[in-house]
Amino acid sequence: MPTITVTFIQRDGSEVVIDDAVTGISLMETARTKDVDGIIGECGGSCACATCHVYVEPDWQAVLGEPDVLEEMTLEGVSHIVQDNSRLGCQVLLSEAMDGLRVVVAPPQ
Amino acid sequence: MSSNAQDTRMDSCPVAGEEVDLGHASLMDPGIHAHPNAFYWAMRHEQPVYYDEGLDMWLVSRYEDLQTVLADPITFSVEAGYAEQYAKGFIDEFKAILERDGGGFFPDAIMTDPPYHTRIRKLMEGAFTAHRVKALEPDIAQVVSELIDEFADKGAADGVQDFAVPMTIRIICAQLGLTDFDPDKIQRWSLAVTSQIGRMQDREQMRENAREICDLQNYLIANIRAREETPRDDLLSDMIHARAEDEENPTLTFKEVVSLARALLIAGNETTATALGNLLYILATQPELADAVYDNLDDDRYMTRFVEELLRLEPPVRGLSRMTTKEVELGGVTLPKGAHMLNLYASGNDDETVFECPRKFDVERPNIVRHVAFGSGVHRCVGLSLARMEIKVAAREFVRRLKDLKLEIALEDIRYLPTVATRSMASLPLSFSKR
Repeated sequence: MPTITVTFIQRDGSEVVIDDAVTGISLMETARTKDVDGIIGECGGSCACATCHVYVEPDWQAVLGEPDVLEEMTLEGVSHIVQDNSRLGCQVLLSEAMDGLRVVVAPPQ
Repeated sequence: MSSNAQDTRMDSCPVAGEEVDLGHASLMDPGIHAHPNAFYWAMRHEQPVYYDEGLDMWLVSRYEDLQTVLADPITFSVEAGYAEQYAKGFIDEFKAILERDGGGFFPDAIMTDPPYHTRIRKLMEGAFTAHRVKALEPDIAQVVSELIDEFADKGAADGVQDFAVPMTIRIICAQLGLTDFDPDKIQRWSLAVTSQIGRMQDREQMRENAREICDLQNYLIANIRAREETPRDDLLSDMIHARAEDEENPTLTFKEVVSLARALLIAGNETTATALGNLLYILATQPELADAVYDNLDDDRYMTRFVEELLRLEPPVRGLSRMTTKEVELGGVTLPKGAHMLNLYASGNDDETVFECPRKFDVERPNIVRHVAFGSGVHRCVGLSLARMEIKVAAREFVRRLKDLKLEIALEDIRYLPTVATRSMASLPLSFSKR
């Protein structure tokens, strides 16, 4: 699988740049391999815990698209920190169109 | 019960049932066991962390306290709680039978504490991500359709024996790669395994259950051995050959594979079958809900929320055990070190301080997803995506093809399996007609 570059902006403002992110792998798993602070992925990608919540930078929202109904429902569980650009990292499978993607790690629940 | 507590029930919401005087009430009481919601309610209002003398366990009933427990897997140990619960009263004899006739005693690798549990979890969780499960939807629909074909013309069937149980068995066996399975055996094995945490078996039953588990383990071991040399395209092979590179022990041991295969075949299977039984029960007893499902068959949002609300209202798992590893305050009670607890997920889902009007089925509930039917924290059900998908497809296909679903048994005649771990109907006679 081809690789791309994705950037996580952690809660303290520091950036983790991952320049060998493998396409076909989720954003959550990608973050976990590099220990991005605040991306826990507790449920392992089942779309149930919302511990891989990110805010997608505006330029990238159209590329990633909207959450599906399951993801929307899971986000409701953390509605106090949900924004228009919220996504769960486990539900975003990286693709070549996402090369350069930037997301901000959401605060803890 | 205080008058104050009763006043809070004076609203238009459906209530849990008759008031219960806690007194010495126990979950082992057959009446409470069959219809526990009023007991849950009384505990949450009177003694939220309640010592059940019959069980010799502390029952945790409030949502907030459950969250505290689930968020701290070190203070509230699954490993110690499970070991205490497992084959309680007979563990030495049980172990000896398995070692003699069943290839060994294989402790449940998933019912352990971090950091050991973290490695096991990591090696398991790739199997059932939401993405992987999505790809299984057509196969699941096929299984459901075949089962309905078998009884659609008869106008009657047993929702548990003819549908829920065979459906989950066929699906998990297909995933594991077990093509030569005997469904009757798997059902017997399932009951034998879950009885070990159910607290309601006597010695004779334990010996019979142990014999079934030996049979199960020997079957799994043969299948595992066959894949060690030559992997196939199935979950059993995936487990045998799974690697977590950043771990010191990056692969699963043989003992771990046997225990995990057993857990996947049985634990996930039995609980999902229970959920499917609950689905048919609710469709048969709330016809307006069956109509609503029919009106929304192709609305994925509705169907997704319907499944979640079903899991909240009727969680298949009543409660799982933990044990304190130090003295700790919980819900106003000081629990000593070594206190054996039963976490009542079903009561957490019924907590009116979190879920308004909790006995009402409401797909538009804004916080549906906060239910704890799958637990929470590091031990959250690893197969939850598969369970959600199976229930959704079952609901959709059942209602699409059949109507006028009715119970052919009086409510009070429904029998539940003798276990405190799940709330599973033994049988559910139904009638219906074809659309």
